[in-house]
Order: sequence, then C-alpha cells, then structure tokens
Amino acid sequence: MHSLIATIYAAAEPINDKKDLYPKLQELIVGAIAFGVLFFFMWKWVLPRVNQVLEARSQKIQGDLESAEQAKTEAQKELGDYREQLAGAREEANRIIEEARKTAEAMRQDLQKKAEEEYGAIVGRAQEQIRAERDRVFQELKSQVGELSIALAAKVVGGSLDRDRQLALIDEYIAELGGMAPSGNGNGGPGRE
Amino acid sequence: MISGLLGVAFEKPSTHDFVWSCWGGSGLGCFNFIMFLLVISVGAFVLMFWTAFRKPQIVPGKWQVAMETGVGFVREQIVVQMIGPEGMGFLAFLTTIFFFITLGNILEVIPGINFPLNSRLAFPLVMALTVWVLYNYIGVRKHGFLGYLKMVMFPPGVPTALKPFLALIEFFSVVLVRPFTLTVRLTANMIAGHFLLATFFLGTIVLFTGTPYVLGVASFALGVLMVGFEIFVAVLQAFIFAVLTASYIAGAMASEH
Repeated sequence: MHSLIATIYAAAEPINDKKDLYPKLQELIVGAIAFGVLFFFMWKWVLPRVNQVLEARSQKIQGDLESAEQAKTEAQKELGDYREQLAGAREEANRIIEEARKTAEAMRQDLQKKAEEEYGAIVGRAQEQIRAERDRVFQELKSQVGELSIALAAKVVGGSLDRDRQLALIDEYIAELGGMAPSGNGNGGPGRE
Repeated sequence: MISGLLGVAFEKPSTHDFVWSCWGGSGLGCFNFIMFLLVISVGAFVLMFWTAFRKPQIVPGKWQVAMETGVGFVREQIVVQMIGPEGMGFLAFLTTIFFFITLGNILEVIPGINFPLNSRLAFPLVMALTVWVLYNYIGVRKHGFLGYLKMVMFPPGVPTALKPFLALIEFFSVVLVRPFTLTVRLTANMIAGHFLLATFFLGTIVLFTGTPYVLGVASFALGVLMVGFEIFVAVLQAFIFAVLTASYIAGAMASEH
C-alpha cells in the first residue's frame, strides 16, 4: 500500500511552471472583444426584448384584471336585476293565483245561487201544478158528487126535484165543506154556469 | 517493487495542462483549444438568449421562462440587492458578466471538454479590469477626483489616530487590489477545480489497473461527487464576481459611506 502511493508519486514528476498560467496577449485581446460583443448583444438586443415582453405582460395582466373586474360588476348588476325580476314574477304569480281563487269562489257562489233559484223555481212550478191538479180534481169531484146526490135524491124523492135548485143547494153545501177543506183555498168553489 | 502492478503510469496534473498549442495560425491569430472554448462560450451565450427572446411571447414557453428567470435572478438578487433600483442601468453589464463567467466555468464539467475557460487568467482579468475602470469612473464622475479619493480613503466615523492607516488600507484595497482579487478568486477556483477533477478521474484510471482496484471505485465516486461540487462552484463564482462588481459600483455611487 505504502509503496503503491510511492509509486504513483514517483511515476512522473511533472514540471510546474507559473508562467504556464500567465495570460497571453492574444487571450486578453480576443477575450476583451468577446466580452464587448456579448455585452453589446445583451445591452442592445436581449434586455430591450426582455423589458418589452415584461411590460406587455404586465399590461396584459392589468387589462385582464380590469376587464374581469368589470365583468364581475356587470354580472352582479345583472344578478340583482334577475333577482328583482324573479321577485316581481313571484308577486305577479301570487296575485294571479289569488285572483283565480277569488274568481272561482265568485263563480261557485254564482252557480250555487243559480242552482238554488232554479231549485226554487222547479219546486214552485211543481207546487203550482199540484195545486192546479188538485183544483181540477176537486172541481170534477164536486160536480160528480152533485150529480150523484141529485140522482140519489131523485131516486129517494121520486124525481120531483127541480134540477137547478138542487144543484144550487149542493153547491152551497160543498162550499160549506170547502170551508172545512185541509188545503183551505177559498177559491175551491166551481163557477156556476 | 509493486510498480509492475500499475498498468498505466500516473500522470500527475500539472500547469502544463493549461498550455495549449495552436491548431492553426500563429501569434495573435493562433486558434487553439482556448480559442475554441471561447467560441463555444460566446456561441452558447448568444444561442441561449437568441432562442429564448427571438420571438418573445407574452405567455412564454419553457425556455423563455428559464432565461427570463436567469435575467430576473441577476436583476433581483444582484442589481436590486446590491445597488437598488437606480442600478438598473448596470443590468446588461452584470448579466453579461454572470452568464459569460457561468458558461466559461461550466465547461469544466462538460464531457469531452473538461476545461474551464476561466482557468485562463486572461478572461477574468479582462472583466475585472473593465469592472475596475467602470466603478472608478462612476466614483470620479459622481464625486470628482478628489472627492472620490476622499470618500474612499477617509470613511466617516473613524478615530483620528487610525485615519492614516485606514486611508492607506482603503486606497490599496479599493484602487489597487480589487481587480486582482476578483481575477485571482475566479481563476484560482477554476484551476483548483480542474486539478481536483483531473486528479480523481486520472486516479480512477490508474487505480483500476492496480491491485486493490477497489480504490479506483472510491476515486471514481469521489470524482462524480466533485463534478456536482464543481457545477455548484461554477455558478457560485460567477455569482460572487457579479455581486462584488455590483457592490463596487454601489460603493462608488453612494453619496455617503
């Protein structure tokens, strides 16, 4: 191991010369030119472009931010409008529903009233008919009863009775009966011929 | 004795690794490995920014974002931090320094190249001298020659007894030493980094041919670790160079110490 290192060191002893490291005139001249060219390139070409693009970018970002802000304001305004409209529409709908309910109620009441009226009319008519029928029947009955009584009396008395006088008598009698009749309509008396 | 166990002779890295002969041309027109690396660095620099900002988009692509982040890093972490918003005029200079040094450094770990451009003293020196001229010019223009000298040499709040010593130290430090500390800090880091990587990877080859070849594994593992470390150093040194430059400029611009 020791001798290995010794060997390495012994292998080739190079000659170091500080003059090897000194700058050469050519290097100084060409290096200065190269540096100057690069500086000029950086100064006149690179940085103007960098600054230009940075400026354009910041302007674009600013513009974007502003237009975004504007869009946001507009959207908010629109949203407010819509909300207002929506509230209006809701109110309108409520109003319409209420109106419809009122109309329906009025119609219902109207119909009910009409129905009741009709009902009343029908019942009235029916009563009228019944009454007329009853009067007719009563009239008929009255005449028949008269005839019948006369016939009967004639049979019993021997037909000596004057027909007209008898009929008058019977009418009187029936009128008395009619005064006792349950329906009590005074006009029950048949017209005399 | 055991020397036979080593199949390959170990060539220790030396300063000769930093000398490159011409591939073509001679003198000032000599095109060698260093010039090749310079072309690569400059080419990569231009290509990076050109592809990123050829058609800059408001909504950027990935590469544009990456390069914008790079420029933004220099702006926020170096210019704003060290000088403040009034230092924006130096953004181009500092960005160039930061990226050019980073690229020149990172070549150290690019496979097939493995040589940092900035290990050649000339390139950091050129930039450091430019920085030196720049900040002294700013100081003199802003405060006048004597005013600047006074500001540098006689910072306020110093006991009178110490003033002569401090004046001397400050003068040396600000006016004479700064460009050389900038240069040497960067160059020495790159030279050391290159030596480090060369030692571990050359050592790997040699130790694998030796008997306890497991040592080669250790050397290789350490070498890989060092590659990561050198990537960090490459960016860090570029950052330090740029930050110090900004700090020197800020010092020269300052109205009060």
